[in-house]
Amino acid sequence: MIKVEKLSKSYGRKKILSNISFELEEGKIYGLVGENGAGKTTLFKCLTGIEKYQGDVKSNLEKLKNSSGFLPSEPYFFKKTTGREYIQLLTNARKIVIDNIEDKNIFNLPLDQYASTYSTGMKKKLALMAILFQKNDFFILDEPFNGVDIEGNILIEKILQKLKELNKTVIISSHIFTTLKTVCDEIIILEKGNLTKHIKRTDYSKLEHKMKNFNMGNQLEKLGLT
Amino acid sequence: MIYYYFKLQFKILRRKLIDFGLPFLPTSIVLPIIFSYISNNFLDNAKYDYAPHIYGVIALTIVSKLSKPERNGFLKSVFSKTDYLIIRVLENIVSSLPFVVFLLYKGLYIYAFSTYILSSLLVFLSFKTNFNLTLPTPFGKTPFEFTIGFRNTFLIFPIAYFLTYISISVNNFNLGIFSMLLTGAICMSYFSKTENRYHVWNFNLSPEQFLRYKTRTCFINFSILTLPIVITLSIFFINEIHIIMIFLVLCYAYLTLMIYAKYSDFPNHISLPQGLLIGISLVLPPLLLVLIPYFKSKSIKKLKNILE
Repeated sequence: MIKVEKLSKSYGRKKILSNISFELEEGKIYGLVGENGAGKTTLFKCLTGIEKYQGDVKSNLEKLKNSSGFLPSEPYFFKKTTGREYIQLLTNARKIVIDNIEDKNIFNLPLDQYASTYSTGMKKKLALMAILFQKNDFFILDEPFNGVDIEGNILIEKILQKLKELNKTVIISSHIFTTLKTVCDEIIILEKGNLTKHIKRTDYSKLEHKMKNFNMGNQLEKLGLT
Repeated sequence: MIYYYFKLQFKILRRKLIDFGLPFLPTSIVLPIIFSYISNNFLDNAKYDYAPHIYGVIALTIVSKLSKPERNGFLKSVFSKTDYLIIRVLENIVSSLPFVVFLLYKGLYIYAFSTYILSSLLVFLSFKTNFNLTLPTPFGKTPFEFTIGFRNTFLIFPIAYFLTYISISVNNFNLGIFSMLLTGAICMSYFSKTENRYHVWNFNLSPEQFLRYKTRTCFINFSILTLPIVITLSIFFINEIHIIMIFLVLCYAYLTLMIYAKYSDFPNHISLPQGLLIGISLVLPPLLLVLIPYFKSKSIKKLKNILE
């Protein structure tokens, strides 16, 4: 179990996250929803410990950082590093020996090609594969479906189901509600750095209805398109 | 639009200098003085007649950095064809201007004119390549410094090995030592850039263990590259083996210094003062005894923030 208590984060005077508390249980998949700039990526970076924060993140795992797999929304790849070397780097980092990467290459990526030449979706698949090979117990996935093709998205959904079966904890951010609706056990809503709602599966339809009917007002007119 | 582009470039340059720890105004005064001093020395004191050629090539190499396909693709997508050409010609001329002015000052009119014309013509050259070959390296099991570094500098190693061969052929021991130091200096450069925080965060190691891992990997990989030279020199200059060993130990010491310096201000890159300290230690090797522990303790402090 992962317990977040009164987590706050500021950059200078600007408060990004304010007193956030929630719990994540083993064997469950959580969705994190919020507008652009709501603080989702910052919250993820705080959970991993990449960013410093105020408050507490407790867990029953031996050391949360070393049991966490983080998929950033825009994974960074060194130039002139192949996909295979990227996987090797991330598995070496966790002292995991991995054999026959080729057999485990479920996304059929060109592993001996430089990762920097991959398309957006391929980069995401590679970064996801690397953290899966790390054999983590907790997965933080920032926009895992973005840029990935339809087959890839279906495969990612299957992977998430498998992780759930294996009693792993997963938290995902996504703007694609239909995917979250399918895979998540609960959805957490983040608004302007505040955790406003924790929605159970039974209330997903209400949330979907609310999202579809949001009032745009005269936003479009402000653009002055002619 | 063109005016705004150059205004933005000026702002970016200013920010880069400030990020590097250099105040803008004093730097814009000191930099031309340093440039003139180096150029003057290079063109006056160079022993060879082809110094102006090399000077021109240096200018064109700097200008060619502006011809990267991604950069030019972006500019083409944003600006009209005419504006794009004006921008590219202007920035190439501005970048080569210090060199052209100095060549004119030295009375090397043909070189100045050629540099000017070739810089402008570089606008029409794109360094885009479809050559997508992955260069194999012996370091694939322990990425990333040596895998990337080797791919960027692989041509240096045949040159270094050839110099070792020459040193034996003409019985010039110093040249042999130079070839060994060349590999050491190249490998040091692999640690000049800091990686993303994410890549360090992934390590399930304490700061001390992390530094040990990096140093051990570096020593093994450097040994693979330099041992052919060390063994060959040791066989052919057996009487000088103690000197070979001293320089080899120095190579390992400087590599250690470089690794520790790299993480001493993590996640920032090696700063100018740190660079200066490394530079001074190259002239004064005993300084290593102070700098290695100093950078190590700083690195451990910085790495604690991300690894613990």
